[in-house]
Amino acid sequence: MTKRDVVVCAGAGVLCSLPELIVQRGLGAGYVVYALVVGVLIGHRRTGVAVGVAGGALIGVLGWLLVQLSLVPLLHGEIPAWSAGAVLRGYPVLVADVLHGGLTGFVLAFVPRVRKGHTTRESVRIVIVGGGFAGVSAAKRLERHALRGAGIDVTLVSDSNFLLFTPMLAEVASGALEPAHISAPVRSAVAHTMFRNGRVSKVDADARLVQVGDDVIPYDHLVLAVGSVPHSFGLPGVAEHAWTLKSLVDATRLRDHVIGRLELADNEPDGATREHLLTFVVAGGGFAGTETIAELFDLVHRIVHFFPGVDPGELRFLLVHPGERILPEMPANLADYALQRLKSRGIECLLGVRVAKATASEVWLDNGESFSTSTFVWTAGNRPNPLAGERAIETDARLKAVGLDNVWAVGDCARIPAPDGTHYPPTAQHALRQGTVVADNIAAVLKGHQPRDFRFRTLGLLVALGHRTAAADVRGRQFSGFAAWLLWRGVYLAKLPGMDKRIRVLFDWVLDLVFPRDIVVTGRDEVSR
Amino acid sequence: MKGLSDGAIAGVAGGLVFGGSMALYGTLPTVASIVRTGSAAVGFTMHMLFAVIIGAAFGVIVAARREVVVWGLLYGAFWWFLGPLTLLPLFRGHPVTWDLPSAQGLVPSLIGHLCYGLTIAVTIKILRADIPDSRPPTAVLVRGGIAGGIAGLLSLLPDGFLIGAAAGVLYPVVFRERENTGPALVRGSVYGVLWWVFFSLTAEPLLMDLKLDWAQPPVDQLPGYILLGALTAVCYTWLGSLSRVLFVDDVRMFPVESPGSRGVRALGYGVVAGLAGGAVFTAVMVVVGVLPTVALMVGSQNPVVGLVVHLIISQIIGISYAVLFRRQSYDLISGMGWGMSYGFFWWVLGNLTLLPVLTGRPVDWSPAALAAGFPSLAGHLAYGAALGVVYHVLEARTNPWWQTRNAAEQTRVDTRRRHTLGSAPALWTLTVLIAVVIPALIPR
Repeated sequence: MTKRDVVVCAGAGVLCSLPELIVQRGLGAGYVVYALVVGVLIGHRRTGVAVGVAGGALIGVLGWLLVQLSLVPLLHGEIPAWSAGAVLRGYPVLVADVLHGGLTGFVLAFVPRVRKGHTTRESVRIVIVGGGFAGVSAAKRLERHALRGAGIDVTLVSDSNFLLFTPMLAEVASGALEPAHISAPVRSAVAHTMFRNGRVSKVDADARLVQVGDDVIPYDHLVLAVGSVPHSFGLPGVAEHAWTLKSLVDATRLRDHVIGRLELADNEPDGATREHLLTFVVAGGGFAGTETIAELFDLVHRIVHFFPGVDPGELRFLLVHPGERILPEMPANLADYALQRLKSRGIECLLGVRVAKATASEVWLDNGESFSTSTFVWTAGNRPNPLAGERAIETDARLKAVGLDNVWAVGDCARIPAPDGTHYPPTAQHALRQGTVVADNIAAVLKGHQPRDFRFRTLGLLVALGHRTAAADVRGRQFSGFAAWLLWRGVYLAKLPGMDKRIRVLFDWVLDLVFPRDIVVTGRDEVSR
Repeated sequence: MKGLSDGAIAGVAGGLVFGGSMALYGTLPTVASIVRTGSAAVGFTMHMLFAVIIGAAFGVIVAARREVVVWGLLYGAFWWFLGPLTLLPLFRGHPVTWDLPSAQGLVPSLIGHLCYGLTIAVTIKILRADIPDSRPPTAVLVRGGIAGGIAGLLSLLPDGFLIGAAAGVLYPVVFRERENTGPALVRGSVYGVLWWVFFSLTAEPLLMDLKLDWAQPPVDQLPGYILLGALTAVCYTWLGSLSRVLFVDDVRMFPVESPGSRGVRALGYGVVAGLAGGAVFTAVMVVVGVLPTVALMVGSQNPVVGLVVHLIISQIIGISYAVLFRRQSYDLISGMGWGMSYGFFWWVLGNLTLLPVLTGRPVDWSPAALAAGFPSLAGHLAYGAALGVVYHVLEARTNPWWQTRNAAEQTRVDTRRRHTLGSAPALWTLTVLIAVVIPALIPR
């Protein structure tokens, strides 16, 4: 409601109280104040005559209960009784309130709403590119702004129609979780936003246009939340021969491939070929790489009993990491703990070496060592989505892209400065908050207010280390082992978008305690990697 | 113009029905006194003139509305406040008092106005040819009869089963649109009041005693009829859902959104909204000193225990509100309307019926007991208003079903609002007006 609208409605309320005041002189001057408030309440949402009169009468009854039967005795220093006697005394006011409400609703149904500038406001077109944590979070927040009256028209464009909960991707690769259970449809997550399933091929910031296929979508504000893609740094053969773990397809294919290796090895007489099939190499000792090697280890060892021709002693798991310790983002003692847990299971952790090249059958390290394997997983590098350019989009602290008008960038594709002079890390917890802040900032700009800086302190870091073991750092408090594993599952279960998905994942976990992992191969390992 | 003419014709029909009752009561000379005469014929002419004008206005107001019956009843009730309580004394040169004794004296007029409202609404439906050609299928009538029979047994009315079965069989004839349980409950409460007016107050005395006595309404039966109507509607709706689950193989007959979708969150909102309403109601309970009585439900007389029990009940009712009225409100007033209607139902079911049963006292719906329950009625209405408003605010944050993304979706939402919620504002307001008219129904 505009201020003028409030005045008009209040005036109508007071005007409509005059008949009651004339015929019922006992109402007193206080009734004018009551009438003023009721006028604003009724005028807040104006519809037709019938609904207006009905709503007015309803408000009149409530007003009688709250004012005549409750507030008036209190103002007279008495305790409200709401008794038969009070009803008897207050009945004339009830009739007055019902008639006043009905009359006010009737009158206001004919009074046009006062609008700013007397023109119909055009909706501001906001386009969000990317259906990940940041994009969906921004769309959700903008829905709330729209509900509060912001004149915005939001379109979310994404090449997948679901929001992937990436922290649980490794568990899909290990067969512990069903793929669809860790992904929420964008259409239900942001049910009041226009959704466009497609890949944005070009952004024209000067013309303010986004190209999706053959269509062009104009925008007034653009939010780029396109995320990141695996980056092989141009190492020979890596892009062609390595498996990645960024999508549901990656995870399900990797699972099928690993089971397929065991199927082949089960009847393979040649020792060298068996070694080739039963060696699993993961490059990158960050969160993704550590969790992947741990989950692959769990998967293979939990299903190997189905393959009598495979001796568990033949299985070999290698984690290759260029740093001196794995999990560089974690505190050193937790990283050491994780390393010890992996080593104690027989996972070979090769530190201080890099992958130099890969072929269809071998992985070469920069120290000249090589391994015969047909399962090489690359998690050692990411880069912003090519749509963002060669490098991450530089933004200011308010998430506005530097040098681009009305373009905002959030999530993994953005390089957002932190107050301490560094940049915020590309994690899901940051992306979620950035989405919220960018929506608030766009709404603020539309209102002519100042946008605010993005400020967020990492809540904690959690890494799953396979079979009921994890490590966690929550604002300096450290956990490891079974307690950390429970914390990991509890936190991520709570963060999973959608109650139905939470329940499905919970069931998956419970069933995983009781039943063996499924070794059904759902796809054929013929798709190029 | 069609609405105006239909309304005028309907006004004639309504005027004849209402005029007949006025002739029976001998109140036509009162109307004639407006033109300073005591002639009943002049009074009837004046009455018919008013009836036509008021009917024409109704025709214009509901010209764009499909569901008009409940609107007609509300229109009649509203004109009782405006006509005999306000304008008639003014036209006669008398001061307007609006006091309770005057209202009590005008109860026959209230019934007459409800009859008038119902008649003009039904006549307009007939003039629009909006009467279904065929009766509902036999299975549906049987379902209604079973629902009504069950409700009749639960409503503690004498001959409740027979009355309930009759009301149940008529329910699907009167209400053809399928409805969610919450709105059906409110609609059923109004249906129960109609049965009280037209059966208990009118048909029964006419058939048994050959006389019409609207001045001495059997108010002690009103709670029973409200329960009868509400429970009939709820049972009918649930039996319908059950029969669809068991026997219908067409997925288009089922709601688009599954119960689990956002349902758990809705229950949480119900808890919060119920607590908010309970906090409002607590003030009434403390002042009236009823908390020890509530504590009796768990075998205690401690007010603190009573408060805890009250807040738990508030939350349970809040959860039930979330289950029954999810995705039914679209603004604060609609939330308030559903909430107050639901609060009124719980005054009848909770305060007047279940509380005595659970505390080992006999159920007492006598006028004195109803009068003693006024503080609780005020508390329940305030509870319902807070419950409905808070629930709407919470739901609007995450599930604003009325917000649409394109024209097709807007059409769907508009159709839903027109079909299922078209008469909702009339239902809420009529229910709440019934609640505040109860003091006038209690004999002096």
